Amino acid sequence: MEEKITWETIMVEALARAKSENKTVLLDFFNPN
Amino acid sequence: MGAVTYPDDRVVSFINENMVPLRIQYDAQPFAGDFNIKWTPTVITLDFEGNEHHRTIGFLAPEEFIPSLILGMAKVYFDADKFDHALASLGTILSDYPNSDSAPEAIYIKGVSLYKSTDDPQPLKEAYEKLRDEYPKSEWTKRAYPYRLL
Repeated sequence: MEEKITWETIMVEALARAKSENKTVLLDFFNPN
Repeated sequence: MGAVTYPDDRVVSFINENMVPLRIQYDAQPFAGDFNIKWTPTVITLDFEGNEHHRTIGFLAPEEFIPSLILGMAKVYFDADKFDHALASLGTILSDYPNSDSAPEAIYIKGVSLYKSTDDPQPLKEAYEKLRDEYPKSEWTKRAYPYRLL
């Protein structure tokens, strides 16, 4: 099965997950258009 | 990025294994203002407290994007004085992505990391010599130029 990136969309949730998983955050500011 | 780089299997694997991916629309406040976003794509590496350590603007192909992400991780460690971890990440860039645009900066930060962790200035000179020999046109070679005198 094809794997995809599972994006977080809430800053505080991403930071909490980064702390618990000892990872850094990739923050992508994107234009949907 | 959305059409080429993010769907790439190598990019997907790297991000899922090593980072927490967070996607925010370029004009969503307060973040667009807090991070002074003026163009897309803008990709920023944050530590878990939300502090910025690395930023790229514009499209990067997978073979440039992955080493750029590793460089961001190395800079998070470097800024926290965790030089062993920074050196491990920098070593990955230099061994696996030596032809990437991130490689010259990795050499520079490697030299600084070794200097700061040992107080021996020799790695700074070695960093300059490697940059001079392998990346003579890089801006990082120019930045390391004073270290030739050490």
